Amino acid sequence: MSNVDILLVILRVSFGAFVPLCFIAVLVWMERRGAGFFQDRSGPNRANIFGFRAAGLVQNLADAAKLIFKEDVVPGHIKHKFYFIFAPAIVFFTAVASFAVVPFADTLVIGDKSYVMQAIPTDVGILWFLALAGFAVYGIILAGWASTNKYGMLGGLRAAAQVISYEIPMGLALVSLLAVYGTVNLSEMAQFQGQLLFGFIPMWGVILQPLGLIIFVVAAFAEANRTPFDLAEGESELVAGFHVEYSAMKFAVFFMGEYVAMFTSSAIIVTLFFGGYQIPWLNTETLVVYAKPVAVVLMLLLPVLMYYFAGWIRKSNVSHYDRPNDPRRREAAVYIKILWGVVAIMELILLAILLSPSGGVATRIFVAELQIATFLLKTTLMCFVYVWVRWTLPRFRYDQLQKLGWQTLLPLSLLNIFITGAVVVAVS
Amino acid sequence: MIAELLFSVFAVLAIIGGLGLVLARHPMNGAICLVMTMISLAGLYSLLSAKLIFVLQLIVYAGAIMSLILFIIMFLNIRKEDLPKEEWRWAYYLGGIVVIAPVGLLMTKAVKALPGSEASIMGNGFGGVKEVGVVLFREWLLPFEIVSILLLVSLVGAVVLAGKRRVEQ
Repeated sequence: MSNVDILLVILRVSFGAFVPLCFIAVLVWMERRGAGFFQDRSGPNRANIFGFRAAGLVQNLADAAKLIFKEDVVPGHIKHKFYFIFAPAIVFFTAVASFAVVPFADTLVIGDKSYVMQAIPTDVGILWFLALAGFAVYGIILAGWASTNKYGMLGGLRAAAQVISYEIPMGLALVSLLAVYGTVNLSEMAQFQGQLLFGFIPMWGVILQPLGLIIFVVAAFAEANRTPFDLAEGESELVAGFHVEYSAMKFAVFFMGEYVAMFTSSAIIVTLFFGGYQIPWLNTETLVVYAKPVAVVLMLLLPVLMYYFAGWIRKSNVSHYDRPNDPRRREAAVYIKILWGVVAIMELILLAILLSPSGGVATRIFVAELQIATFLLKTTLMCFVYVWVRWTLPRFRYDQLQKLGWQTLLPLSLLNIFITGAVVVAVS
Repeated sequence: MIAELLFSVFAVLAIIGGLGLVLARHPMNGAICLVMTMISLAGLYSLLSAKLIFVLQLIVYAGAIMSLILFIIMFLNIRKEDLPKEEWRWAYYLGGIVVIAPVGLLMTKAVKALPGSEASIMGNGFGGVKEVGVVLFREWLLPFEIVSILLLVSLVGAVVLAGKRRVEQ
């Protein structure tokens, strides 16, 4: 193994491990800002460090400090302490590990070697995600059972029954998708989606399998135990469901596991249906050839976007009543200066790309970075859909939930398999 | 070297899980031990570069079937008082050992008598989804279909048996 090999192994594994963790902070922040936006609430607008609220991100720090320093209570009536403590770890670990097979950029070619850009470069792909989604149920069952609490038990039963029954439409929706792509390998799926249909439509899963997308997204929402399927923790009936007995960091691990699961399933949805890291109409080879024009366009576009973004910050980051020497205006001025600094650094990097010889290693790495940025942008947008749905839709009733799973999604996914099978046979 | 180390770890874990399943008093402990055995077996399959079997073992056995078993155990909410008293436990263990020992000896003899051959990693693509699928649907199509009919029969049987009680009421 050469140094480049080792460096790339470290880079890929740390991307697979740390990006989901970073996204916890982003998603919790997005959830609060989303709640504020959709439901006309105030949102996280108080917690600050020397007057800087970082648009609400400081609230996360306050939460973390609270959860870490809270007393870690294990109630006395709990007999199976090992399972009680082990359960949150299972939920968190399976959520992080299932991200490991998602490709975040096209296979990187350096010299005569190529590197598959996944944390674990394996070709079992989507099957790994299904396996770990099944393991997440253990965490919920064990938490509900080990709590020895009526609410915990009922919440655990509900969550487990829900996850087990929605795995079936999810798997069947995947079957029709696999028939279209002809592979289970997520990297090959993303490469397939770089092609063009009839020469001008990107061949994304959403265009080839619209019904599959709807079934998969609904099932993914149910798997992640989020509204409108969050009966497992319906606070009006079950207090907090399976994590009712958990406090401090043990609760926090459940909480973070939920957000990592949300990020991972968004990443999987993006990879399966929205082209993964592919930029529409610009597949990897095109990007490598046209790297310099793309860099020039980005260099011109970045300051323009930043100008409007700065205007938006200046307009919205103000006090809602008259204050002498409004401290929020001063805060906004600092943010805008920092962001212009970031833009200047990015311009310098783009300039370096422009000056480097074309088609070389630098171009390849630049293309990989563009694809990583695209992938993260798409995943963030998908996460926003999760937040959007959570603060817009009310909760289902439990019988409605099971009816939707078994009587609507299951026949629909079977129908989808038959139609897809017929079309695939007719076309090939 | 690493493969041999992993093999020993998985093998030991699988045996510990099996022993735990038999010896554990509480059904939940037994079920978790069985999960451990299933996962270790999946690890052994992956060492044999049988990727599809590895994932199927994780999805079907370790994931789906065992989570249903845990679900049932959770539903029944068994306590220590509900379990039967096993006063003749040790006699059963002894009897079991006496019965199994000759078979075990025979097995070790058989394994030792195997001709020593160099183990090599199978070629690229062995045990992948496509390769297993091609073999399954070209050479083993009829047995495959018969097995699926068998599964269908057991499924219908379960539905009939579960529905019967409701009709009588």
